[in-house]
Amino acid sequence: MSSIDYTQELPVVEGRPTLKEINELIARPLDQKPDKKFYIALSITVSMLLIGAIALGFTFYYGVGLWGNNNPVGWGFPIVNFVFWVGIGHAGTLISAILFLFRQRWRNGIARFAEGMTIFAVMTAGLFPLIHVGRPWLAGYLIPYPNQHSLWVDFNSPLLWDVFAVSTYFTVSFIFWYVGLIPDFASLRDRATSKVKKIIYSIFSLGWRHSNRHWTHYEMVYLVLAGFATPLVLSVHTIVSFDFAVSILPGWHATIFPPYFVAGAVFSGFAMVQNVLIFIRKIFNYEKIITLDTLERMNKIILLTGSMVGYAYAMEFFTAWYSGVQPEQFTFINRAFGPYAWAYWIMVSCNVLFPQLFWIRKIRRTIPVMFVIAVLVNVGMWFERFVITVTSLHRDFLPSSWAYFKPTIVDLAILLGSFGFFFTWILLFTKTLPVVSIAEIKAVNEGAQPSHGEH
Amino acid sequence: MSDSPDVFNYTKKELPSNFIKFGYAAFVVGLVLVVLSLFVDNVRSAFSGVMLLMFVASIGVGSLFWIVAEYLSGAVWSTPFRRVAEFLGAVLLVLPIIALPAYFNMHDIFHWTHEEVVKTDHYLSAKAPYLNVSFFTIRTIVFIAIWVLFYFLITRNSKLQDSTKDQNLTRKNIKLSAVFVPLFALSITFFAIDWLMSLEPHWFSTIFGVYYFSGTVLAALAAITYIVVTLSEKGYFFQGVKEDHYYSFGALLFGFVNFWAYIAFSQFLLIWYANLPEETIWYLQRWEGYWMYFSIGLIIIHFVVPYFGLLAQPSKMSPKRLKFMSLWILFAHFYDVMWITMPTYQEFGYIPGWIELGYAIFAIGLILVIFNWKAGKENLVPIGDPKLKRGINFRL
Repeated sequence: MSSIDYTQELPVVEGRPTLKEINELIARPLDQKPDKKFYIALSITVSMLLIGAIALGFTFYYGVGLWGNNNPVGWGFPIVNFVFWVGIGHAGTLISAILFLFRQRWRNGIARFAEGMTIFAVMTAGLFPLIHVGRPWLAGYLIPYPNQHSLWVDFNSPLLWDVFAVSTYFTVSFIFWYVGLIPDFASLRDRATSKVKKIIYSIFSLGWRHSNRHWTHYEMVYLVLAGFATPLVLSVHTIVSFDFAVSILPGWHATIFPPYFVAGAVFSGFAMVQNVLIFIRKIFNYEKIITLDTLERMNKIILLTGSMVGYAYAMEFFTAWYSGVQPEQFTFINRAFGPYAWAYWIMVSCNVLFPQLFWIRKIRRTIPVMFVIAVLVNVGMWFERFVITVTSLHRDFLPSSWAYFKPTIVDLAILLGSFGFFFTWILLFTKTLPVVSIAEIKAVNEGAQPSHGEH
Repeated sequence: MSDSPDVFNYTKKELPSNFIKFGYAAFVVGLVLVVLSLFVDNVRSAFSGVMLLMFVASIGVGSLFWIVAEYLSGAVWSTPFRRVAEFLGAVLLVLPIIALPAYFNMHDIFHWTHEEVVKTDHYLSAKAPYLNVSFFTIRTIVFIAIWVLFYFLITRNSKLQDSTKDQNLTRKNIKLSAVFVPLFALSITFFAIDWLMSLEPHWFSTIFGVYYFSGTVLAALAAITYIVVTLSEKGYFFQGVKEDHYYSFGALLFGFVNFWAYIAFSQFLLIWYANLPEETIWYLQRWEGYWMYFSIGLIIIHFVVPYFGLLAQPSKMSPKRLKFMSLWILFAHFYDVMWITMPTYQEFGYIPGWIELGYAIFAIGLILVIFNWKAGKENLVPIGDPKLKRGINFRL
């Protein structure tokens, strides 16, 4: 297998299944009643979710004093978690829209799941600003509208731009996801045997008949939506990076932040998609439609984006030295060798060093190893946000106010709860909707493409 | 296999004679103006020399980047045209020659070379371990050597494949490309810091390397696109270069126009918003006197015009539009390099004169002469490449 024949395109789907086989394969998890394993998994994630909910209840009752935030470190876990989850929510639309525009056909096996993951991750992320405002029932004021209190938002603040960027991103991602689902709803409707299911699928398929005219419109809409989604993907994390970078705080203010955050988000998002898909392809027997080649390609992107993140770390360090500005230099030396050195080196090793193992082809194609590396990537990316937020704040300009940030049990419970929230949605998704696009897999099946007499 | 209508029978043809003549003419006219400028205004000429170096380096290393990108991404649509990038990349070989004149004018160009100034300036003396003439020279030599080395290795394999048709050469080039990417990222970053950012030695921006990179790959892509469309209209590649191929060039150009704007805007917005004097100075300089119009012009020329010029789907496929926009983007990149370089030369106001024009003409002539020289010796199409047939049959 080490010699690829470059005169032939690698098949995206292995084994040339018939169209019916594709239908059956992808729809099977929806037909079967959930098994015991599913309920065990669901009870774990729901328990995590409930732990988070309890911690939130305490927070709302007693106030945010239950968190570890202290005087110089005014931004603690909520912003770290927010950026982390927005980052996860990034790869979905990247895989879907940007790889679609690049005509990367291997994306078809993973795009649907990635889009779904985007939606759940952005929902998870959206919780944190709401929590962080302390009184979430007043969060409506984040939306600028003329009101009796004459309360207006600050249009100069990137935190407000976040409100617009994230909500727009969520809306467009949701529409993109739903439009992609329409032909699949129709396929499911056509094969449904139970009456209730048939009615539900009929409603969601919007009268789709797989006609040529439907497809023509669909293709155009899908292309336009991909075109819209692409700048949105970039803008969301760019604006998240502005939350930090527009300030004058050393460690936050760096012009490289926008592309650096985007690369980091793609990096962590791909790692998360890879992690979950490894389970899905095994449990649902999707090995032939989410092939090892697809996973290998994802690992290559993880390597590339991880190295971009490493480049940004290096440039920050170099520029801090090159600038000759003392507070800049102090911040970075403090990051690497100060009280949070442990967090910094977790970040560097997980994000930059371990992904370098993907230079080796064997590792890119060994599932347990790639799984572990991708888990580490997400650990590293969570710590990256932690390092950026906390280490830049904890030793500010006045040494008398320096302090050490320590998360409380409530902080950790809310973080745990966010994972519970996210994975509960993921689990429900896998049993209610096709996690791989039926129509798109048919389109990249061998023999589906017009050819020039090669077969 | 051979019943395919697009099957390719390549016979080597001379390039169009007016193409060659134009190259020589531009080269000679440019050279005369350049030499003349050395006597008329040595300092201004030296600054223009930096522009020339950065522009030609953009085309060279940018073309190399596109070759490498094709190997790594496994793209096939660009394979039939890869030789255009390979020929353009040959300008890397003359980089040492065009970098040389700057060494006779270091004092005029680079403020940090004045030892007496550095001694009294806290910031510059802190940077002295990096910004000093000997280390600067070593870095420039190393960067150009890396580029030339990889250019040589990759194109040698590609050329060899014409006769051997050996797939292992593609495999080797993929490996070389993978090794090249990290070296490329670092070398182009520090090359940009050395030759452009250090013109204003107090100023710093972490994104600067990415900024130069974005302009570089865009300019190289524009040069490749222009030559591909021009030659393919005259039937130099194969019958049936279709809209699908053109569209790929157009879409990529459009994408990188946006990428440049994104990076440029990020850099500007963050510096403007934070309003730190050590950073804003660079933009303030570009807002003094005539520079203000120049800066506004940059937004229009480098972003607004190509953005709308390539936005619509039909314009990405139209050969006429592609040729026009590629030339426009090449001009925009030269303008961008000028916008970065020249405020150090003339702080308050500046009107481009015949010296800059002369250097621009010389740059075009130089690139074309080298391209024509390579094209005269080698096949315009990589006839032994295993991906060639797939590339010819490429459909969106």
